[in-house]
Amino acid sequence: MTPRWHRYAFLALALLLVAIVLFPIYWMVVTSLLPSSIVLSRQPPLLPPPDQISFDAYAEVFHRRPVVAWILNSAIVVAGSSVISLVVATLAGYSLSRFHTPAQRVAGATLLLSKMLPGSLIVVPFFVMFTALHLTDTLAGLILANVSVGVPFATWMMKGFFDTLPRELEQAAKIDGCNELQALWFVILPLARPGLAACGIYLAIVAWSEFVFARTLVTKPANWLVTVGLQSFVGEYLVEWPLLMAAGVVSLLPMFVLFVLLEPFLVSGLTSGAVKQ
Amino acid sequence: MTAVPRRRRLPVRDRWLAYGLLAPACVAVALLVAWPLWVIVQMSLRPGRALELTKLLSQPLGFANFDRVLAQPSTWAAFGHSLVYTGGTLVPAFALGLGAALLFHRTFPGRRWLRSLLLLPWAVPGVIVSIGFLWMFDASFGVVNSVLRRVGVLSTDVAWFVDADTAMLAVILPTVWKSFPFFAITMLAALQGVPASLYEAARVDGASPLQQFRHVTWPGIRGSAMLAVLLNALWTFREFDIVFASTGGGPAGATETLGILLYREAFGSFRFGTAAALGVLMVATALVVVLLGYRWLREETR
Repeated sequence: MTPRWHRYAFLALALLLVAIVLFPIYWMVVTSLLPSSIVLSRQPPLLPPPDQISFDAYAEVFHRRPVVAWILNSAIVVAGSSVISLVVATLAGYSLSRFHTPAQRVAGATLLLSKMLPGSLIVVPFFVMFTALHLTDTLAGLILANVSVGVPFATWMMKGFFDTLPRELEQAAKIDGCNELQALWFVILPLARPGLAACGIYLAIVAWSEFVFARTLVTKPANWLVTVGLQSFVGEYLVEWPLLMAAGVVSLLPMFVLFVLLEPFLVSGLTSGAVKQ
Repeated sequence: MTAVPRRRRLPVRDRWLAYGLLAPACVAVALLVAWPLWVIVQMSLRPGRALELTKLLSQPLGFANFDRVLAQPSTWAAFGHSLVYTGGTLVPAFALGLGAALLFHRTFPGRRWLRSLLLLPWAVPGVIVSIGFLWMFDASFGVVNSVLRRVGVLSTDVAWFVDADTAMLAVILPTVWKSFPFFAITMLAALQGVPASLYEAARVDGASPLQQFRHVTWPGIRGSAMLAVLLNALWTFREFDIVFASTGGGPAGATETLGILLYREAFGSFRFGTAAALGVLMVATALVVVLLGYRWLREETR
């Protein structure tokens, strides 16, 4: 057994490591809570003086920029692309897991290929295709672009989960009078809930982070996603750091909440997919 | 990928079900992966600057785009930058990920929550990573320079992202920060697969912690570690967001990787043909690395 003091030594080390790793996020939060007069100093205080803390930057950035609209646009794209990808990938993953067809090799190759395709390359044909189809400057176009990234890896991830569920489950369901689709719906899917959760959150985080499609396929500021909106601050002559950091913190919050709550699912899901393949 | 054993053909009913369930994914992949790829190959083989699909496909075929891409010095400069960027990210990210995995494999109070927090950078969008680091590494007001000045390391203000000598380092740091959690996750899972009995046997034989790592831990996780290196190398090689949002490839092209050059060709100069040719060469490079890596990986894990 590990001696007791060892465990606390490991805890101390882990706390130190986490503190260092999270410093950039901490600094974003601190900057967003302080007025420019303190932030724009050659010796900024590492701990915020409590009497100076205010949420003015948040109020101001919401007032001056359409941050809410950007976040709503992002939410629509994330929800649309994640749901489509998850449904398509669940069906395909189940088929790949249960039936031996030539599609298994194709699916593996597609996944590998999609891992090698640079986003800044695949956006070129999307731009040309979407222009022809009048899909540029629409959120529907962005949803489709995100589905193109989501389906290959989500399919592989779901196949990995279904592989861990024994085939006897369906056989038992069939004896009880289910057909194949009923067995999938009533028996397999409820058991695959952790897998669906992991896959869904993975899809959501990837789509929320996506930048190159959003920047290229949408040009009207009203249709910007949050990543594009935030990046637009950087080119300005005078960057207003507290405002930018406030917008950044707000845009991080939804994914952080999801991530911290569902991280155990995600880790087991990612690793079962990554290690097996 | 494991080889699928040969089986007798599926019964007709199962075949309908198998392909029916696959159909939506096939449609998605055909329309959103295969068709765009076909357009890319077409574009790369058609010199001329048409932006419309029908006009583009009526251009004559030829290799002029590839000739142009291979002849221009900026391609080779960008290739060099991509190699430095990828290598410079992988080594520290791997070391940090392995260290974190070894630590979090131990038991201590609060491990579950601390692990979530440690992996958090993975969930931060690349653009926001860039913005955060741009601010921390700002020349006059950045916290990094402030601390370095206070400690006495710096006497002048270093403009990390703006100075051509430091810009590459400045874009590598946020990339390491975002990519090390992937290493930590995969190696943590691999560590859990190493049987505890091996460690007990090693301890009975009087192995030191370092010897235990060399002879028990590392052989147990080597396969997963190498796979993680390969996947992360692919990810970093095509990474775009962090560099684009922080330096945009500058100053004076010092951080212009292949992904950035490609994007500039396509949407800065609107030369889609050369951009596509560059992309084809990029994917071909990645493919060679994957095939070599895959063979080597199979020999390693055999």
